[in-house]
Amino acid sequence: MTKNPYQPMLATVVDIKEEVSGNRAIKTFKLEFQDEKVKENFSFLPGQTIMISLFGTGESMFAISSSPTEKGYIEVSVMKLGKVTNALHEMVVGDTVGARGPYGNHFDIEGWKKKNLLFIGGGIGQAPLRSLLNYCLDNRSDYDNLEVIYGARTSEDICFKEKFDEMQKQQDVDVHLSIDVQEKGWDHYVGFVPANLQRLNPSPENTIAITCGPPIMIKFVIQNLLELGFKENQIYTTLEMRMKCGIGICGRCNIGNIYVCKDGPVFSYDQLKDLEGDM
Amino acid sequence: MENLVLSKEKLPEMLTEIASKYALFGPIEENGVTSFKHISNSQEINLDYLRSRISPKDLIFQQTETLFTFSKGKEVKVNTPQIDEAKRVIFGIRSCDARGYSILDPVFEGKREGDYKDPFYTKKRNRSTLIGLSCNKPEVNCFCTSFDDSPASMKNVDILFTDIGEKYFIDIVTEKGKELIENLGNLFSKASEEDGEVRERVEQDAINAITRHMNTEGVVEKLEKMFNHELWQKTAMRCIGCGICTYLCPTCHCFDMQDEATLKEGARIRVWDSCMYPEYTMHASGHNPRPARMNRVRNRVYHKFSYFPKNDKIFACTGCGRCIDYCPVNIDIIDVIAKVKEAKI
Amino acid sequence: MVDLKNLIEITKKIVSREDVRYVVGYKKGTYGFQIMPAFAYTPEDAEDFIYSPVCSKNLAVYTILEEKLPLKRGEEEDKRKIGVVVKGCDSRAIVQIIQEKGLKREDLVLIGIPCKGVIEPKKIEKMFPNQTDLIDVIENDNSEYIINIGGKTHKVPKNELLSDVCKSCEFPNPPLYDVLLGEEVEITEIEEFSKIDELDEKHTEDKWEYWKRHFERCIRCYACREACPLCYCKECMADTLNPQWIRRSVNLSENAAWNIMRAYHLAGRCVSCGECERVCPVNIPLMELNKKIERDVKKMFDYTSGLDEEEKPLFGMFKPDDPEDFIL
Repeated sequence: MTKNPYQPMLATVVDIKEEVSGNRAIKTFKLEFQDEKVKENFSFLPGQTIMISLFGTGESMFAISSSPTEKGYIEVSVMKLGKVTNALHEMVVGDTVGARGPYGNHFDIEGWKKKNLLFIGGGIGQAPLRSLLNYCLDNRSDYDNLEVIYGARTSEDICFKEKFDEMQKQQDVDVHLSIDVQEKGWDHYVGFVPANLQRLNPSPENTIAITCGPPIMIKFVIQNLLELGFKENQIYTTLEMRMKCGIGICGRCNIGNIYVCKDGPVFSYDQLKDLEGDM
Repeated sequence: MENLVLSKEKLPEMLTEIASKYALFGPIEENGVTSFKHISNSQEINLDYLRSRISPKDLIFQQTETLFTFSKGKEVKVNTPQIDEAKRVIFGIRSCDARGYSILDPVFEGKREGDYKDPFYTKKRNRSTLIGLSCNKPEVNCFCTSFDDSPASMKNVDILFTDIGEKYFIDIVTEKGKELIENLGNLFSKASEEDGEVRERVEQDAINAITRHMNTEGVVEKLEKMFNHELWQKTAMRCIGCGICTYLCPTCHCFDMQDEATLKEGARIRVWDSCMYPEYTMHASGHNPRPARMNRVRNRVYHKFSYFPKNDKIFACTGCGRCIDYCPVNIDIIDVIAKVKEAKI
Repeated sequence: MVDLKNLIEITKKIVSREDVRYVVGYKKGTYGFQIMPAFAYTPEDAEDFIYSPVCSKNLAVYTILEEKLPLKRGEEEDKRKIGVVVKGCDSRAIVQIIQEKGLKREDLVLIGIPCKGVIEPKKIEKMFPNQTDLIDVIENDNSEYIINIGGKTHKVPKNELLSDVCKSCEFPNPPLYDVLLGEEVEITEIEEFSKIDELDEKHTEDKWEYWKRHFERCIRCYACREACPLCYCKECMADTLNPQWIRRSVNLSENAAWNIMRAYHLAGRCVSCGECERVCPVNIPLMELNKKIERDVKKMFDYTSGLDEEEKPLFGMFKPDDPEDFIL
């Protein structure tokens, strides 16, 4: 019979890493497809998304936060927020989840070769950027300067912290961390991400800026990037909407006549600026 | 193809014949509400109706559908249910509702590159033969003619029946329709030239009986410039946010997917959803891209008269008039589009 | 009979007040007998206001409908009053919401209308189908409706078109108002809402058969809920996901759960305006449920909803002599 696009493949949770604890807990789940063929052949590109099922609870769409260079598994980094993510945070290693995808478009990893990439992330918004960043690190010679501006509410809320430290030390990446309010022992920037961006004043020369975070942060980051001389087609973001089908049928993730699940989630500011719709 | 007639007396016989060979669906009335249901006995059919309250879209795009079942626990098993394989005949469908299927096709059948196909819709759609029934007496809110259609349109059906008094005039439109008619034996006779003339007259009378019209010329372009117009807030002030317009609409197709499970097993079901509900777009974070009725009413109008035509080159409205008939607060899509045309920008 | 000039003048005065944001009333609809809720922000807007026996809609719903969106920086909450045109039952709905502290009396200006009963839209549209042009309906002193269609005048006995709930209405006059348009209506005869007796006498199985037939038709559009001024919970139990009381599947079991829970949540609160049944697109006789509960509440607690805004809501108070024999 015709393939059922709503039916997920089965995957096992093989590792869980607690990135952030507390109220806004974030965990990264490493998933391995149970079908050997799928496990070997599943391919995706940075920026693409995957629909994760918890049988009996429901489904939610997440950005894949691992890089396609990491074979045999995928990772999703998830903040505990709603019904599905709460249940996901209860999972233990060995549990089974459903996964279908990958969905949507992706970052232009080919077209951005030999360019500087500027990653501007806030909170859990770093998840889709992490996939791209890790991909670039694994293909380091293909890209020029890599720079990360990342902020969280408090130092406890910073996700992928170890990776940031490691990158800065070993892999020739400039990392600029910030938190919203001063804390004891914090020797990096204090303030919001858009302000940190302005302060750092990165050059738009041969650079692509990719940003993801809360909607209000994205808005001001884009505004500041434009002020810094970035052109509209040098600015990319990845959007989030409530999704159900993930395949452009069920209707709810539209912004104007664009479906975020299918036509997105990656958009250049060039595409977004004239798009009238509820966001 | 040759035109036929069927004497009205023979209709029950024909329906019985169809029901013995196909899964037959037709209009049934219950407590004053007509909807399309599975017919086992030709007596159940009620043809004394104009527009079924619930559009027959639910025969192809069911209000509730099991997408797959699963067992829970350590060994999870997932299974897609058998989709109804029976060949179907939908008898008595009106031209507007048949057109509704054609509008839904690109959504579910994935007509654009890279699109997914929905097997639940596709299978039922492909296995259905549509026997249309022309409308002799359109009602006040019928405006199919505004979409270049007609109460006796052959555009989206396989066979069309037209009531010409003592008998039905039969237009055989497609190969599928021809096959069905051939399968039904000797019930029909050849239509005379006069029968054909009566049929044309019935259609013309029905067209003339349509009093309300929607002028859609230039609407797509106009809406481009009206996203922030006060019309949306004004219209939405009286919207109470129920789902009537969307659930009765033959082209609304938004759905929700949820798990319904016991401790051991369950199913993922899909069920019609409505863009009129705030929960429809609410994020887990609490952020809602369409927080007010204004956003939701505007999105519904735009979806039908801007987004759909932009993506699929067709208005997602058939002129059936159900949303006008049953809106509790008289949000009248003919009036809304007229206001769009008039609006100063 | 409501003097239209007076209605418009009063509305203009109210909407001109600095402490009033807008007034909700009725205006002519887009075709036939349709009327629509109208919002007057300015005195000019009020020119369109009408009142006639076809103004059945309960406008009290608009007092609880407007979304409170997060304020933009520098923006202040608009705390001005809302004016509403209210009939007896509409006013009772507002009284009930005030009792429950869902609204504050000082946030409202009520234009009361002594109500002689409203026409059931389904009935008049059946009697005079397919009317494209707008039609006026007035009531004369002989309990007749005068309907002018295409130059021809029809006189229809009131009883043939009157809404069923109006026939058994005990409170045609608004218990709460700021201005009353015209003289209070005298109550002459009240019919019992007869269908409850019929149902009461049936066996449990027969009752279930009866309701099963109706609930099976429900499409769960929630128009009954949205049209009801007393269904104003921030999050309806039908929408919560965690826990999920009612599954979204549209089938007899879930539909029955929805319809019964809806009715029970209105126990001691429903004001019998009939709006839920009026808007139901699949003709479920919801008022039979509501009326049954209303009668039980009256019998058990001697309580009538929506009459006095100072009173405590029925299920918001406890009396030592409350009956308890129905508690298992």
